[in-house]
Amino acid sequence: MIYKTNEYLGYPDRISVPAGEAVRFQLSSKRPSVKVEVLRLRCGDVDANGPGFKYEVMTSSIDGEHACLDQPIRPGSNAVIDHDGALVPTGGHWCFGAYVYPTRIADNAKAVMGNWCERSARGYALELDEEGTLVLVLGQASGTPARFALDVKLRPRVWSFVSCALDLSQGSASLSLIVPPDGVRPAAAHSKSFALPQALALDSGLPFLIAAHHLNGDRQYSAHFDGKIEAPRVLSRPLDAEALRVFDGRQRTGASDAGLVAFWDFSNGISSLSVKDLSPNGLHGRLRQLPRRGVTGFHWSGSVHDWRLSPQEYAAIHFHSDDIYDCGWQTTCTLDVPAHWRSGVYALRLTSGGDNPDRDCESYVTFFVTPSKASRRADLVVVASVATYLAYANSALRLYQVHFETLMEHVLWLPQDDVFMQENPEIGQSTYDCHVDGSGRAYSSWLRPILNMRPRGYWFNLINDTHILDWLEEKGIAYDLITDVELDREGARALAPYRVMMTPTHPEYYSFNMMNAIMAYQNAGGRHVSMGGNAFYWRCGFHPAAPAALEVRRGMAGTRTWESEPGEVHLAGTGEPGSLWRHSGFAPQKLVGVGFSAMINDTCGYYLRTAESEDARVTFIFEGTGRHEKFGDFGFRYNGAVGSEIDRYDLELGTPPHALRIATSEGLGAGALPTPEEFRTVVDGLDGTQNALVRADMVFFETINGGAVFATGSITYGMSLGHNNYDNNISTITWNVVNRFLDPRPFVMPATA
Amino acid sequence: MDHTSDPAALRYVIDPKRLDLVEEFRASPLGVHSPELRKLLARMRWGRPEGRLVLIVLEPGKAWRLSRIPKRRGDPMPFVDDRVFTSLVEAEWHVFKLRWQEMTGTTLPAEVSGDL
Repeated sequence: MIYKTNEYLGYPDRISVPAGEAVRFQLSSKRPSVKVEVLRLRCGDVDANGPGFKYEVMTSSIDGEHACLDQPIRPGSNAVIDHDGALVPTGGHWCFGAYVYPTRIADNAKAVMGNWCERSARGYALELDEEGTLVLVLGQASGTPARFALDVKLRPRVWSFVSCALDLSQGSASLSLIVPPDGVRPAAAHSKSFALPQALALDSGLPFLIAAHHLNGDRQYSAHFDGKIEAPRVLSRPLDAEALRVFDGRQRTGASDAGLVAFWDFSNGISSLSVKDLSPNGLHGRLRQLPRRGVTGFHWSGSVHDWRLSPQEYAAIHFHSDDIYDCGWQTTCTLDVPAHWRSGVYALRLTSGGDNPDRDCESYVTFFVTPSKASRRADLVVVASVATYLAYANSALRLYQVHFETLMEHVLWLPQDDVFMQENPEIGQSTYDCHVDGSGRAYSSWLRPILNMRPRGYWFNLINDTHILDWLEEKGIAYDLITDVELDREGARALAPYRVMMTPTHPEYYSFNMMNAIMAYQNAGGRHVSMGGNAFYWRCGFHPAAPAALEVRRGMAGTRTWESEPGEVHLAGTGEPGSLWRHSGFAPQKLVGVGFSAMINDTCGYYLRTAESEDARVTFIFEGTGRHEKFGDFGFRYNGAVGSEIDRYDLELGTPPHALRIATSEGLGAGALPTPEEFRTVVDGLDGTQNALVRADMVFFETINGGAVFATGSITYGMSLGHNNYDNNISTITWNVVNRFLDPRPFVMPATA
Repeated sequence: MDHTSDPAALRYVIDPKRLDLVEEFRASPLGVHSPELRKLLARMRWGRPEGRLVLIVLEPGKAWRLSRIPKRRGDPMPFVDDRVFTSLVEAEWHVFKLRWQEMTGTTLPAEVSGDL
């Protein structure tokens, strides 16, 4: 059957919920009602060649049909300033302007600042039209709005100062554009004066906006600006354009600037969603839909790359017409998760219900149930990689990347969710994708539908991870599940109740708290089974003021599909350097013994044991297997346990000296290519046929206080567990590791360590 | 612009006389290929996404159908024809032939272009 997977869309208000607490679901459909069931997933993979789609249907208070609204997604960020009329010109002089750095001039007008409302045609604003021409829009008491244009176009990705001076007593206006010199381009200035019509209607009765117009009076917005805006200002006294441009908004003690109405300083509160007005009027505002802060402004000197060291140089905000943090939908149903439910991966199954349901209409909303504070804990906890799921949420790599088919080495296979994303781009894409203006997406939130984090969606990450849950269930190993959110918020306390933690196929995105929590846990005697590859790779953060969003900055190295603009590597939310953990002195090798080495774009490989594997310290791992077996020369989907993305041992990068490299990969070819931070000069011999560093290593080491770490160094390892009805050598060694790790007998670090 | 973002970054020119490479590909569309065929395939697969042929998964692991990436985000994404593939290898071969025609302007002779 060909399923329609997007007839219903939805998202939870919280991505993880402890048993015994409530989670609200916001659903949308063109259909008037939806049938809801709650599933606990064992294996979320519908592929007919895998272990099968396995789940338990729960009995819940929200089972059954619910009325469903058709709820739109309205992307686009802007600032909103409530002003009680203080930002409405009332007579005499009114000068306003801002630095702008447009990154996309196309399709429709792009608002800079004003209170203009399209529906009522009242208010005033500066905007760039679809050609990039600066336009002053003014409401009139009757008739169509007045529009005055400067007959010169702004260029994309050039800083300019745009402004307008109104003289309402004389009935005149002037528009100005000042382009400061840059590179070989000389300074330029343009201005034009206009006579104003008689009866203006400049008060829309609505908040003042930066980077958008009001669509109507219902807090809906339009004409979102793509690009940076810096230091917008309003004065009620006459100033020529250059004087307005160089006006210093900083207020001296005891000295007031006559006629200063507002001066918004975006360098203030970069890690927040508020915008501060320096004027005595206190016309502070708030940001919606999470535009990017901590970006270089007009005054960036290039001498600092960390906005915390010189915020004044980072006084711009980069707005996007396709920023989306929170869809803001109405709640459809609230699930009180019973206290006795087991933790795990859960999903709402949404179908059409009624007497005559469409059997091909089936959609999911995934969420995670964590143990209640009071519930008995299993000895093993799986940490679901929510940060990674978010980083990849609605990934459109298959749709829009130049290199992606060459990378995958086959015609791209697009799930129908990709078609939906192409046709409905307002859903917002992943941190691998670019905004409509070509700049990389730094944010991804769970307050919107995520198509590739659900059954019947693309399998990378979450669905692959459920193969590990399936194996745990099959082997009767009791486990709890928490997520990266608990690890980030609660740190090592989230892991403390457990003897063993397991990270799944691809725990790539890690915040500071998450990394340190695992290190602390391991050093306190915890045991860590690291099942995946490309693990503990990007240094990222949940945004403190927008906690449903992950923030990622792509540094100057690493495998990545976009690159941060110069000077924009530090996270706006926390200030810490984005980029790779390797570049923050905490390479994954330091945590689990192995770290990212290569991507496998063609055939997957397998492991062979090393001489070190004969050490008595690891005898338990290989019990029941042969010394010279190929480990994992099989597996679902990838056909090998060494594949997709693989990690290697490296003492210089922090692998503990006593770690044992117990197996290493074989069988990799020309499509196995190193990650860019692994070489400093491009030379022949980099691919897997020649490069000894293009490999996955399996490692084991003990930690102080009786703990230990086992790492597989490969994303595809988990998809080999179910081969031959779970009877295979990958399953055997994993079982041996888990079994011994669950045993309270302490591990002992060798004396030489 | 960096290499992986530049649609024109690959300079390989497909030689329409290299039917040996066509035969090698046809023998194993998803297999391991010679260095020369890898270059040809990399060139075929590289470029601006707009207009690129892609397979839409109708049923995972079972059925696929051809479409193209549209010009603009938000545009509809119709199928290009009625054919439903039940084998990825056959789909790969079909797309190879379409691209050969598009990129070399020549039609493959019957003896190397038949179904698998």
